[in-house]
Amino acid sequence: MKLRILIADDHELVRRGLCSLLQSREGWEICGDAKDGREAVDKARQLKPDVVILDVGMPNLNGLAATRQLLQQQPQLKIIVLTITDSDQVIREALDAGARGFVLKSDAARDLVSAVEALERNRMFFTPRVNDMVLAGFLDKGYKPANGEAPKLPTLTPREREVIQLLAEGKSSKEVASLLNLSTKTAETHRSNIMRKLDIHSIRDLVVYAVKNDIIQVQVSQQLTASAEGSVA
Amino acid sequence: MDDDGFGLLEAASGNDGMTVRILVVDDHPVVRQGLRTLLRSRPEWEIIDEAEDGIEAVEKADRLKPDVVLLDVGMPRMDGLEACRRIRKTVPNSEVLIVTQHDSPQMLREAVSAGARGYVVKSDAARDLLAAVESVTQHKFFTARKRGLDGDSK
Repeated sequence: MKLRILIADDHELVRRGLCSLLQSREGWEICGDAKDGREAVDKARQLKPDVVILDVGMPNLNGLAATRQLLQQQPQLKIIVLTITDSDQVIREALDAGARGFVLKSDAARDLVSAVEALERNRMFFTPRVNDMVLAGFLDKGYKPANGEAPKLPTLTPREREVIQLLAEGKSSKEVASLLNLSTKTAETHRSNIMRKLDIHSIRDLVVYAVKNDIIQVQVSQQLTASAEGSVA
Repeated sequence: MDDDGFGLLEAASGNDGMTVRILVVDDHPVVRQGLRTLLRSRPEWEIIDEAEDGIEAVEKADRLKPDVVLLDVGMPRMDGLEACRRIRKTVPNSEVLIVTQHDSPQMLREAVSAGARGYVVKSDAARDLLAAVESVTQHKFFTARKRGLDGDSK
């Protein structure tokens, strides 16, 4: 029986590239693709893949949040996350969320096939750079930052983190409510709870928080002089 | 290049019906793979090589003399607009097709000033790439119609 793979990334060319990397494998089948986390969760529910590949930085619902939701709905699912950064926070969160494969987008052409193979055999896969960190026990639950700082993340609920992403992407409370099937009042309550917990007072600060904590990933083009429209991925 | 980009500059192509040799340039290997996949649907199009930044693009274009260079804008070491200028100067028979994330009239203008023959926005690549390559191969300018908004597509 073929290994069924679902691919989620917000860039079409990347989705095609990823499909093409995996398609040539006898015994693997790309059963579908999605352009954001929400679509990934919906399609996984219908298509029941064996492996899901998720870009971390997708709009509407990012890869980490999608990982949690996917595993709630299908606990046996094997998940590989793709990311543009290998910050230890993202790695830790990906693992905590339940992902078992971690591939850097820049190395996907080289690593993706190995990642799927590993997960197919019930092993984990980390991009080599990350491997060293894992081996060194860097990601040990007992790890404390060198300067003894308190952990960065205040206790936000998963729902609150979802709301942060949407607000940071510029959606209004009304739009958030509609996307998450909540009343506007509830969405607004989440918003004020978030601002209070994080002690921030503007959407701009919220965006900064979201970027710093990998709730949204920003891809900065190397050359920004031509277009001052830096875009948020 | 001093035409305004809209002229149908039909130089003698020497390529009617023969292989179109394409150089694909983007700093993401997976994106290059995605572009390859789209281009594969035309058997007479041959991807002769790839490059991952502007410096490599210029070097390879100069050496391999492709018919078309697919060029991303945001790349390390040398960006696509600068690479475009240099390629157009040193290898004038190679047409440049900018393939970029940026969907902005300003970027389009800069691409045209830099000598590009076409401009494709990555999110529309599936829809536009084939027509774009066909067009620039015949030395005809390509840009997609803007989706609905302010009509000015230059």
